[in-house]
Amino acid sequence: MYRRESKTVWQEIIKRKQCYILLLPTFLLLLTFNYYPAISAIYHSLFDWDGANFIRYIGLGNFTNMFQDPTIPLSFLNTLKLTIASLIINLTFPLLAAVLIFHLKDMKYAYFYRVLFVIPMVVPGMVVFMIWRFIYNPTSGLLNQLLISMGLSQLTRPWLGDFDLALYAVIFVGFPWVAGTSTLIYLAGLQAIPIEILDAVSIDGASTWTRFWKIELPLIAAQIKLIVILTLIGAIQGFVNIMVMTNGGPGETTMVPGLYLYRNAMYYNKMGYACAIGTFLFLIILILTYINFKYLKSSVEYQA
Amino acid sequence: MRKETKHDLPIHIILLLLGILTFYPFVFTIVTSFKDNFQFIHNFWGVTWPIHLSNYKDAWSRISRYILNSGIVTTSSVFGVLLVASVSAFTFARFDFPGKDLLFFAILSLLMIPGILTLVPSFLLVKRLGLLNTYWALILPYISGGQVFAIFILRSFIASLPEELFESARVDGASTLQTFFSIAIPLSKPILVTVAIMNILGTWNDYVWPLVTIPDGRLWTITVGIVSFSSQYSGLEMWGPMFAGYVIASIPLIVLFFFTMRYFIAGLTSGALKA
Repeated sequence: MYRRESKTVWQEIIKRKQCYILLLPTFLLLLTFNYYPAISAIYHSLFDWDGANFIRYIGLGNFTNMFQDPTIPLSFLNTLKLTIASLIINLTFPLLAAVLIFHLKDMKYAYFYRVLFVIPMVVPGMVVFMIWRFIYNPTSGLLNQLLISMGLSQLTRPWLGDFDLALYAVIFVGFPWVAGTSTLIYLAGLQAIPIEILDAVSIDGASTWTRFWKIELPLIAAQIKLIVILTLIGAIQGFVNIMVMTNGGPGETTMVPGLYLYRNAMYYNKMGYACAIGTFLFLIILILTYINFKYLKSSVEYQA
Repeated sequence: MRKETKHDLPIHIILLLLGILTFYPFVFTIVTSFKDNFQFIHNFWGVTWPIHLSNYKDAWSRISRYILNSGIVTTSSVFGVLLVASVSAFTFARFDFPGKDLLFFAILSLLMIPGILTLVPSFLLVKRLGLLNTYWALILPYISGGQVFAIFILRSFIASLPEELFESARVDGASTLQTFFSIAIPLSKPILVTVAIMNILGTWNDYVWPLVTIPDGRLWTITVGIVSFSSQYSGLEMWGPMFAGYVIASIPLIVLFFFTMRYFIAGLTSGALKA
């Protein structure tokens, strides 16, 4: 019985060999450039490794070292601050912009504002960072020049070089944060609300405020949760903003785990340790995604 | 009707204010890109005359190479993604074969792997393959990574095409490859454009991967190039050319945007779903 069944599966595979040939390029690439590095990262997190010849198994040694490394708690604390700030930002300004656009009665204007808030997203992210680096420039920067022209020159400072303010200066990049994918996602959610519901609400004479809290907000719960998880993932693993704005400085005040991983790998040749930091971040992201997924599922059931 | 428009006025005020705050840094960038240093120092806020187009010439001579590199890498990667992903998506969408669900799940599960985890081993792999300082160090991993979400999107689109189209073509004696090129691809054009834009944005804006795999300044992409260029110019206090460089670096994507606006917005929204 078993033999016959496996034989028919085998025959089926032979018959369908064309399908596997068509999938071959995809899987050859994925095995080389995606599966292998992922497995290698987790595997090598258990080794003291310079990336080349020196390799020594140390079990969970890298992870216990992480707990004794003073830079780790510092960088995770920074990431916590950045993540919370990023969550607050993404749950307020883009939502406000999307709801306002949605409440416009003239569709022409709604389209105009949507395009208006998409254009800045087309500017390469790196150019935006560079412009903000100029805004914070201690001598010629826009922010200090603005303060001077307002007669507030005592407030000027080297924003990105300030031990207390550098992290907040990085958080403030992109203000007022409305030109982003978050706005588009909220808007897509709002526009998917059935027109009958909105008509019924306006006949009932509900105020704009009630309409927002009682109808629109609950109906875009899925979009909100999506933005929460995207923001979490982005904030936990992201470090390009820190790298190009402050490079972790001044001192190590704005260090984040991603940048610390990069330094360990590229400057100190501590590949095993870098893999361990990466694995740790991966686990955090996995757990948060799982929690979010569970939460999402239960709330959908609640709605139904 | 008039009352309604009046009611919208506060909304317009807030949105326009947000718009002004968003756009001001870009406007400032463009205005300053035409200034020489004297104008920059003595008229920081205003528009000045005469404009200095030489800033653009100066910036272009420094960054044209990076734009060309980014153009080569992005174009190759995007065509690679479209080709590989559409073939696989077509296979998953239109055929039944043993292990299909498992294989598809194996691809999808990669969406859960964050880039930060694979950064170090990927770098060491590319180094061992002798690809450091070549376009291949960027193109191959971009195709490999980019195809994951592309397959996911394309598969559901190609699966939604009516089977009769494929059936009648087969009856007429068309081979699998012919149905792929003459039916699946032409009908998927809008979604292919969306996928392409998503990948163009991702590739063009990537910073960390080219930074680690391309130490040679001649092969730098625009993101890596612009950071080095900025440090040089702001160190020399050459603000006009620096801002001209930012404008030049932004032009390719802005041009693309105006030609493909509809797909662009779709690409941006679904690009966000990817992460």
